[in-house]
Amino acid sequence: MFGRILKIDLTSGSITREQAPEQWTRDFIGGSGLAARLLWEVLDPAGDPRDPSAPLLFATGPLTGTGGPTTGRFTICGRSPYTGLWGEANIGGFVGPELRLAGVDILWISGRAAEPVYIWIHNEQVEIRSAAGLWGQTDIYQTQSAIREQTGEAQAKVACIGLAGENGVPYAAILSDHGRAAGRAGMGALMGSKNLKAVAVRGTGKIPLGDEAVYKKLRVESNKALLEANLTAVMKATGTAGAADYLQILGDMPQKYWTAATFENAGNIGGAAMAETILVGTAACQGCVISCGRVVNIKEGPYATSGEAKGPEYETLCSFGSQLLVDDMAQITALGDKCDRLGMDTISAGNTIALAYLLFDRGIISAADTGGLRLAWGDASPCFTLLEQTARREGFGALLAEGAQALAEHFGAPELAVTVNRLEVPMHDPRAHTGQAISYAVSPRGACHNQSDFFMVEMGNSMDEIGVPMTERLVDSGKAGAVARHQHFRTAQNSLTMCFFASVSAAEVARLLSAVSQREISVEEMLLAGERAWNLKRLYNGRLGLSAANDKLPKLLLEPLEEGGQMGHVPDMNTLMSEYYAASGWDPVSGMPTAEKRRALGLEFTL
Amino acid sequence: MTIPFPSDAWIKAMMADLNASEAYLAAAANWEGSFDFIIQVGGKTTTLYMDLWHGKCREAYEVPEGAEHKADFRLSGPVAVWQKVMTKKLDPMQAMMTGQLKLTGNMAMVMKNVRAAKELVESCTRIPTEFPA
Repeated sequence: MFGRILKIDLTSGSITREQAPEQWTRDFIGGSGLAARLLWEVLDPAGDPRDPSAPLLFATGPLTGTGGPTTGRFTICGRSPYTGLWGEANIGGFVGPELRLAGVDILWISGRAAEPVYIWIHNEQVEIRSAAGLWGQTDIYQTQSAIREQTGEAQAKVACIGLAGENGVPYAAILSDHGRAAGRAGMGALMGSKNLKAVAVRGTGKIPLGDEAVYKKLRVESNKALLEANLTAVMKATGTAGAADYLQILGDMPQKYWTAATFENAGNIGGAAMAETILVGTAACQGCVISCGRVVNIKEGPYATSGEAKGPEYETLCSFGSQLLVDDMAQITALGDKCDRLGMDTISAGNTIALAYLLFDRGIISAADTGGLRLAWGDASPCFTLLEQTARREGFGALLAEGAQALAEHFGAPELAVTVNRLEVPMHDPRAHTGQAISYAVSPRGACHNQSDFFMVEMGNSMDEIGVPMTERLVDSGKAGAVARHQHFRTAQNSLTMCFFASVSAAEVARLLSAVSQREISVEEMLLAGERAWNLKRLYNGRLGLSAANDKLPKLLLEPLEEGGQMGHVPDMNTLMSEYYAASGWDPVSGMPTAEKRRALGLEFTL
Repeated sequence: MTIPFPSDAWIKAMMADLNASEAYLAAAANWEGSFDFIIQVGGKTTTLYMDLWHGKCREAYEVPEGAEHKADFRLSGPVAVWQKVMTKKLDPMQAMMTGQLKLTGNMAMVMKNVRAAKELVESCTRIPTEFPA
């Protein structure tokens, strides 16, 4: 039965196992949904997110590692040291499946080790080992190699933090494998606060498939259909940045820190351009037929790679490319790689640096503030120094390390920070897709496209069977209900856990879940579980002081641009949000689910 | 006078239109590749071929049934979807993303030439077309 919890207290060194209540796994499935239910019980609103008692959860779902379509993922959850609110970051690669092979569905880490440590899980055997030789000396790839060497297990899968996590940079990431990242909301900082360098896992057991024969047949059919989908072909050939040229036309791809809609050389940094120049292969998460990861080889020039290296995904291409008006793919690749090695979220790090460029451009800061660095659009060369300084909290980097909102506030320009609840906005401009404006405003972890990528719906990726039709992207009224349903489905997927890139219908997902759970689960029941978890995360944030007043976009995103595919348009937040609260059963003043709504969802324990 | 779609006369009319279009010439300046547009009408399938090369159309014709034939790209779907795209009721990229039109070929090339695809649609709208009932 899904829900096997391994609990490790790093203060006392205690290691225990327990089973999640069956009703909770039914109501919240797994992944970030089940994590929300588990963490609800121990949330201390008055406490500091970095207090040793605050848990960090590695949460898999019942589909993780089962070979179903795009099910190699898992989610890392806790209270965010960056935003102070709910934190979750999902990650691909191989660690999640390996945890399940070792008999662990949820890894619960609390406490703080007296000295740096890493956790070594080898099937039933669990050890807390010294990380003295790893702390402060290695990048994330070296850390993985060193731990494999120390454990003597070449097949061990390792999730670790870099220098940024060790130094408490609040948007530090946790990385694994070939540069897969749980990037957002500072889960790496939470891990670092526990003196925990890494979690290494080797499992040789079997992942329960429920009704095995049925599940195996279904997964073959699903993967075959997924392999034949147009979107899969695009992702495979061009990666997550494949649609960059199209997004540019629509005005979705941000430029010049959200102040321009077009960029002459944007075509040089899309996934298609990468495929034609430096791409030499692809990389996949466990069992995935899409293989969206990029493998590149830059043979010459100042950013030549020593053989094959990870190529940047869309968010990184924008963060260090279009947002800085940089069109040098090799340089962007090198910056993405540096960010990974230091263990930082490329969205937050890139956005914060791009804001510094804007402040410099507007004369709000000068070289006197940046330690002599001149930050000019089109020149990303200072970013290497800035990233290093940020991870080490040195020089100007000490300010960058606090993120965009803090940086803007420090220099008296808070209105220039493009954040929602202190988290930097990812690289899809809500002025080009107004449904995305709602997604950003109410995402439980701050601005996020991984709670609902509604821009994709407004580009044509509708889900009519669950009441999410394609909506007109520049129209405000009439779409809030569809956004809410989309969020519920995506939350269910984050509970399963399953990548959003899978073009798999909700009915097919419900069949897979039914087979693995060995009971009939309808689409409606699955969506209800998603809605329940979505509302619980909202209520978790409510306990931390969040209200409807937080549901807003930053000022820069409410200023129209004079060109491009979103020319002259800004989302009407009053219309969008009032319709959203009504559609969601949320009180428009408190911003919280009404008592009636909570009862309808079985969330009476929150009343 | 309208031209029936899909037909040899129709694809030749589009070839003439494209070759007169400055906008297409600019948008497709880097395009190299031939297309099979495969249209399903009832139980019958018609293939219209276009050889597109650096903003010009070098050749276009209806592929005779059973003829041995190979194009660099194949875009296929029911005539009702084609009609939506050709009358701008459905964006060609959206038609592709949603799988309403199935595309095979070099995806990187396609994703890099979205503007050219849009100009192809513009050309379609300029041809007086008679769609099957």
